Amino acid sequence: MKAGGGLYYDRYSVNGRDEWLMRIGEAEAPPILFLSPLLEEMNRTRALLAGIMRAVAARGFGCWLPDLPGTGESERALEDCDWTDWRDAAREAGHCAARTSGKPVVVASIRGGVLLEDAVEASGYWRFAPVDGASLARDLARSKLAGGGGSAGYPTPDALLSALAAAAFAEPQKLRTLRLASDPRDADLKLDGPALWRRSEPDTSSELCEALAADIAEWAAQCVAC
Amino acid sequence: MALSDAGDVDATLRAVLADVLGLARDRVDRFDEATALFGALPEFDSMAVAGLLTELEERLGILIEDHEVDADMLETYGALLTFAKAKALR
Repeated sequence: MKAGGGLYYDRYSVNGRDEWLMRIGEAEAPPILFLSPLLEEMNRTRALLAGIMRAVAARGFGCWLPDLPGTGESERALEDCDWTDWRDAAREAGHCAARTSGKPVVVASIRGGVLLEDAVEASGYWRFAPVDGASLARDLARSKLAGGGGSAGYPTPDALLSALAAAAFAEPQKLRTLRLASDPRDADLKLDGPALWRRSEPDTSSELCEALAADIAEWAAQCVAC
Repeated sequence: MALSDAGDVDATLRAVLADVLGLARDRVDRFDEATALFGALPEFDSMAVAGLLTELEERLGILIEDHEVDADMLETYGALLTFAKAKALR
């Protein structure tokens, strides 16, 4: 489905159920599969992600973003989804992008999206501000205490939360990691910019989008070349 | 990963406050020991406390238990910095 402005909505199938796969850029272009931050952070970074995808597509890539089962426009309820569904979804979305473009995929993941990246067969992996599952689970538990109700507004199923809490980073061979300059942990490159996933009101930063997009495009070109 | 330098902890704490509360960097850079935080900044609500604690854990490589968190430790910049240093520099 074409939505204009180089924006398309494709379908991909996870365990017999169709889910949405947003694409910015041409279907035949070298594909980059984006894995967004998880749960509440996903909403806070939607504008950042769209901005990055638009800027990467302008550099000649096809940018693909799956709606994970139970999130975004998915017709499934989050209560009925588990961690395996999300890993299967990442894998299938990667297959779909590779099959459609006829080219190997590079994965670009942000925050908790990193925890799904190793489900995807790819020629390279790029991470921004990775966070492990234990830390995300603690954050959700605290938000729940502070805000009441579900985990930051989500009726997140217990099985999904416990799988999330146990999820750790994979160590792929072809890996590049970026962090904010204000984060003291190791990274291949540090960029100035706000931690948008922490903002209570969604915000974006065109400078950060542009810097991240330039780095993804350069890394993806290197991964495809080798 | 634990930081070894008190200056690094101070810089990280200021960056996290700016990030979590959405405050201008130059304003946070002017915070001193006595600057009042929780109860004095409208941005600093209980959800922001949750975000602040988790972001500090991530960036300082520490774990903060719920029983360690109280109003005194969040009252001023100085109190929060003392807490963060005690955790990160042990």
